[in-house]
Amino acid sequence: MFKNNKYPRTMLLGAAIGAAALGLSLQASANENLDAAEKWVNNSFKRSTLTKEQQMQEMKWFIEAAKEFRGMDINVVSETIATHEYESTVLAKAFSEITGINLTHTLIQEGDVIEKLQTQMQSGRNIYDGWVNDSDLIGTHFRYGKVMPVEDIMNGEGKNLTLPTLDLEDFIGLEFTTGPDGKLYQLPDQQFANLYWFRADWFERDDLKKQFQDIYGYELGVPVNWSAYEDIAEFFSVHVKEIDGEKVYGHMDYGKKDPSLGWRFTDAWFSMAGAGDKGLPNGLPVDEWGIRVEECHPVGSSVSRGGATNGPAAVFATTKYVDWLREFAPPEAQGMTFSEAGPVPAQGGVAQQIFWYTAFTASMIEDGLPVVNEDGTPKWRMAPSPRGPYWEEGMKLGYQDVGSWTFMKSTPEKRRLAAWLYAQFTVSKTVSLEKTIAGLTPIRESDIESEAMTEMAPKLGGLVEFYRSPARVQWSPTGTNVPDYPKLAQLWWQYIAQAASGEATPQKALDGLAQAQDRVMERLERASVMPNCGPKLNEERDPQYWLDQPGSPKAKLANEKPQGKTVAYDELLKTWEEDR
Amino acid sequence: MKQTRSKNIGITIYIVLLLTPIYWLLNMSFKTNQEILSGLTLWPENFTFANYAVIFTDPSWYNGYLNSMLYVSINVVITLLVALPAAYAFSRYKFVGDKHLFFWLLSNRMAPPAVFLLPFFQLYSSIGLFDTHIAVALAHCLFNVPLAVWILEGFMSGVPREYDEMAYIDGYSFPKFFVKIFLPMIRSGIGVTAFFAFMFSWVELLLARTLTSVDAQPIAAIMTRTVGASGIDWGVLAAAGVLTIIPGILVIWFVRNHVATGFALGRV
Repeated sequence: MFKNNKYPRTMLLGAAIGAAALGLSLQASANENLDAAEKWVNNSFKRSTLTKEQQMQEMKWFIEAAKEFRGMDINVVSETIATHEYESTVLAKAFSEITGINLTHTLIQEGDVIEKLQTQMQSGRNIYDGWVNDSDLIGTHFRYGKVMPVEDIMNGEGKNLTLPTLDLEDFIGLEFTTGPDGKLYQLPDQQFANLYWFRADWFERDDLKKQFQDIYGYELGVPVNWSAYEDIAEFFSVHVKEIDGEKVYGHMDYGKKDPSLGWRFTDAWFSMAGAGDKGLPNGLPVDEWGIRVEECHPVGSSVSRGGATNGPAAVFATTKYVDWLREFAPPEAQGMTFSEAGPVPAQGGVAQQIFWYTAFTASMIEDGLPVVNEDGTPKWRMAPSPRGPYWEEGMKLGYQDVGSWTFMKSTPEKRRLAAWLYAQFTVSKTVSLEKTIAGLTPIRESDIESEAMTEMAPKLGGLVEFYRSPARVQWSPTGTNVPDYPKLAQLWWQYIAQAASGEATPQKALDGLAQAQDRVMERLERASVMPNCGPKLNEERDPQYWLDQPGSPKAKLANEKPQGKTVAYDELLKTWEEDR
Repeated sequence: MKQTRSKNIGITIYIVLLLTPIYWLLNMSFKTNQEILSGLTLWPENFTFANYAVIFTDPSWYNGYLNSMLYVSINVVITLLVALPAAYAFSRYKFVGDKHLFFWLLSNRMAPPAVFLLPFFQLYSSIGLFDTHIAVALAHCLFNVPLAVWILEGFMSGVPREYDEMAYIDGYSFPKFFVKIFLPMIRSGIGVTAFFAFMFSWVELLLARTLTSVDAQPIAAIMTRTVGASGIDWGVLAAAGVLTIIPGILVIWFVRNHVATGFALGRV
């Protein structure tokens, strides 16, 4: 009895103390978060397009918004590039300390990200709460209906959890992550382009300039078209051969039968030749993969169905790839993969490369490299890629990789919203400039125009100039015509390898590819797994019918090698400056 | 005399050839990326521990090793606990269909792990085991238990039945006999079995990768992060590779005298 009497009193006391402690600790943790925010802003996010007060304002908003998610363990995933490494090691930690959400940002190989994404899409089971997925999958996400469009989050469940200063207008890549329905599906997190790369120091040498003029009858400079690229490649590989006692080549590429050979083509190689239709960010109705759509339904990729994957322009582009690789690239290039070939130009024996990712910028400006001057400025420059004979004004001219935040409907809502907060944190103006400087993959106009970028520009070989130029809109990711990126992209390397190894002619290899793509789309159509705009293949008919129609697929040109044309790099910069 | 010398030379060449890739891996792990990519060097010119430092200072890296070791150990324990009684039954008792069952067990190993990927993923996520160590350990049991039963059955059949009978006569209960007398006699068999279970589980990537996302991620999955859009981080990849070999070497050291018997499934 005694005991029984005592219990309620002790319990009451305990509860009171507990409640008081809880109140105190909540108060304390709010202060802790604020202190953490102050610390991060002062130490790690110094360079920003916002003032310190504005930065703290954003941080306060995050602390407030994260209240209901505190203590949750949230997992997001991305591929490995410098930008994501910065996010994984710096931003995830900052976010966890500032908001109290335990965020883990896992890095895995891009192929594995796609594999896991497919597993989640097919099984409907949650694996990661947020994904950084290339916008190349926009056509896939839009059609399968498994992705929660970012716009729906912002207008619906996450209305109060959307950063007021997110400033979507400021993003340069929103077009790429918008579906044919006009809805924003993904939020860009990092982007890099595929450009032309050349040794500006060699191109400036008077002896080489004179020699080039004597042989080809025009100035050595940044090639505007493929004819000029081919001439310059031949010039260095066949005529110059050696510079300062070192063997040099006028071209670099890769040709091993390996999945990375697919990217070499699906990353817009045909668009540079001019295979698709006009239209930005991607050609319509036929895009650079050669897939034709009618009212958003893919209808075929073979010329016989109105596509252009095996059309004359694509065959020309493939032929040039094979010929240049064989005739002008270092002999070992034929057996290299993407990752093996990437660092080769930095070793100093390559004069130019038509297909070069700006993601390599950081690794090519390291001190002590043969392509870097003593003062740390690069001996090389990047410039817009030359265009093939089929290219016309109004078409895209190259590839841009846009890693974008992607959220799945199969992720529990609360987890998805917590991940959404982190996604906004990684692109918020508070941290965005520091992130851009760390990874060189700009996503915001304000960062590109910032003074910090102007200061860095001389060391980056033209990256800043390119992103400030009006030309940048011609560089875009795979578009909305591609209904299932993972299934279709994996076909490419197997068929392209046949052409690269000489096992089949480019025409035969591409015929095979176009047929294989059509078969996959046929299966998708039959299985009707796509609620939105699934494939509806055209009947096959005489290819000539389609070649006679205006636009892509384009009929074979009588002369595929027009007069070579070049432009001086400085001139190019000037025209950009004027057009801004 | 002449013959022994030429035999020695032959063996030396053979060993050198076998060790070259491992030496190359070790060599690369102490080089900078710049040196690896710039040309052929037979030993590191700018010797560096930086690649190892990356792994040992970053929890998301070294946790991969801890995760792998943990699920491999759990797997080995479960495999032995399950396979020992099963192997004893197969070696000592006759029952209907015993031969068929025994063969069927091994057929589990004939299916490639990829076949079980999605079913396992679905199953484990619906019962909340996704991204746990035990999930991977259990999945690997599907392949390890049959092999373990086969190996252990071979060793057990090598022990004459009379031992069992004598133990009964001497008044040993079955559990006491099994642990005190029987197990010590097939010690080396257990060691070899553990080794095979370890080796399979340690190098299996497909299931381990699919059944985990963050908390139980194996080292082999983490290693893939060295491959990025801006090239491969060769140095760190090599260092990680060297570190994955070490546990294997240690295990082999312990069972080195019994491995050959193991390969013959105990029938020597």
